[in-house]
Amino acid sequence: MTSFLQATLYGLLQGGLLGLIAVGFSLVWGVMNIVNLAHGAFVVLGAYVGWQVNDWIGLDPFLGMFVAAAVLFGLGYALQRWLINLVVNGPVFITLLLTFGLDLMIVQAMNIAFSADYRSIPTSYAGDSLHLGGIRVPLGRLLAFGVSVVVTLALVALVNRTRTGLSIMATGMDRAAARLMGIRARHVYALTFGIAAGLAGMAGTMIGTVGTFNPAAASGYTLLSFVIAVLGGLGNMYGALIGGLVIGLVEAWAGQYLPGTWINALAFLVLVVVLIVRPSGLVGRAYYAARLEV
Amino acid sequence: MMLEVRKLSAGYGRVQVLWDIDLSVGEREIVALVGPNGAGKTTLLRTLSGVIRMRGGTAEFRGRSLGDRSIEQIVDLGIAHVPEGRRLFAGLTVRANLLLGGWRTKNTDLDRVIELFPPLEPRLEQVAGSLSGGEQQMCAIARGLMSQPELMMIDELSLGLAPLIVDEILARLPDIAAAGTSVLLVEQDVDAALSVAERAYVLETGQVTLSGKAGVLLADKRIQESYLGIA
Repeated sequence: MTSFLQATLYGLLQGGLLGLIAVGFSLVWGVMNIVNLAHGAFVVLGAYVGWQVNDWIGLDPFLGMFVAAAVLFGLGYALQRWLINLVVNGPVFITLLLTFGLDLMIVQAMNIAFSADYRSIPTSYAGDSLHLGGIRVPLGRLLAFGVSVVVTLALVALVNRTRTGLSIMATGMDRAAARLMGIRARHVYALTFGIAAGLAGMAGTMIGTVGTFNPAAASGYTLLSFVIAVLGGLGNMYGALIGGLVIGLVEAWAGQYLPGTWINALAFLVLVVVLIVRPSGLVGRAYYAARLEV
Repeated sequence: MMLEVRKLSAGYGRVQVLWDIDLSVGEREIVALVGPNGAGKTTLLRTLSGVIRMRGGTAEFRGRSLGDRSIEQIVDLGIAHVPEGRRLFAGLTVRANLLLGGWRTKNTDLDRVIELFPPLEPRLEQVAGSLSGGEQQMCAIARGLMSQPELMMIDELSLGLAPLIVDEILARLPDIAAAGTSVLLVEQDVDAALSVAERAYVLETGQVTLSGKAGVLLADKRIQESYLGIA
């Protein structure tokens, strides 16, 4: 029983972090109809940024993640504004190829700059644990979970309640009509992509704090983002959080009770079952005209 | 005149749609632009609001050229475009739609447009996609007014609406014009359009073939035969 509770807790904590990774992926897909295959590379790049500022000036990763977020926001904004925007109106296949190319370039650049060695961002406290009954609560993971949930909810609030958020939703639903409102769609697209990359970078730094990372991990995070985004309902940010928690739990339970190779198979099995029962995702509504929902 | 269009031509790709259009809209005036399907009415509005580039001629709004301005700069000048098919943000509430209308000018005061279209008030928190056709058109016009434009261009106001509803919405236009927003109204329903407009232009295959006072055009034999079904 204790081992089950321990796995459940671990799954929930990991799931919150996965939700933060997937929420940007889902946002970009929902607003711009771009399946960003470089999303996982943004996550890992964020981990390296957090690692680098820690290495240089000893910045705590839970502060360094804001540096990572800022750097990745800038990179994401620029990539969308001056590169992806050139083809964003084309078929989805074109953006798929472009982001696949970006993924290869970023991952290879990280291999050259940082080598393929596994790294971790050291702290004095992330490895410590609280003990609740017989269950161990790792401090670093608890903190990462808390930050992830707060940031995801803040994103929901931004999109729902601010002028900027309104322009993002409107552009996602009807780009041409949004332009007639005087909204600069290209800027909004770049902003959306920048936000997604920034959140990925932030999550990356936390991943590097509670575990290890190397450039090859990028594709795994893209894959997870895809599963979680579809599971939760496209463009639905609460959905990404819930999808993240579900996948986190499935992975933790599978890791506890099944051979390790089963983990991904089980994650996709859950996805398939959910899509059969609820084709628009766990919290998505079958209202595709309104592509982005919160 | 507030809007002065001279010898304007425009089109898509290799296809030229508009040829040497001359048109003007004055202060607090309602001007109708009528004509059959495919005449280029929508293309003209899209050119004036900067969605497509003009190829020749000039369009000036209060002396400032529209030709080299972007869509949002044209919104800044005080021109609102209520597009064909309304193009509401269907998944957003009526309130959000209206706020988006005032997005560029940062106008968040809904009172004035609610006063013009009272049926919208109980619908404010409702998703725009769930409104009736007439309410949707009211919402689209109200959204256009939210930027407090000096000129509002409305494309196919009557599309898909019952005649009674069309009359109800058209009846609001004189109030809108009197309050300082001139209206350029594109319509296929010629009778309805000429009933509220002061002047009108008839557009056929990309050229203005007739223009003048609405009353005069209503009495014109060619108009009666082609558009009003009066032989």
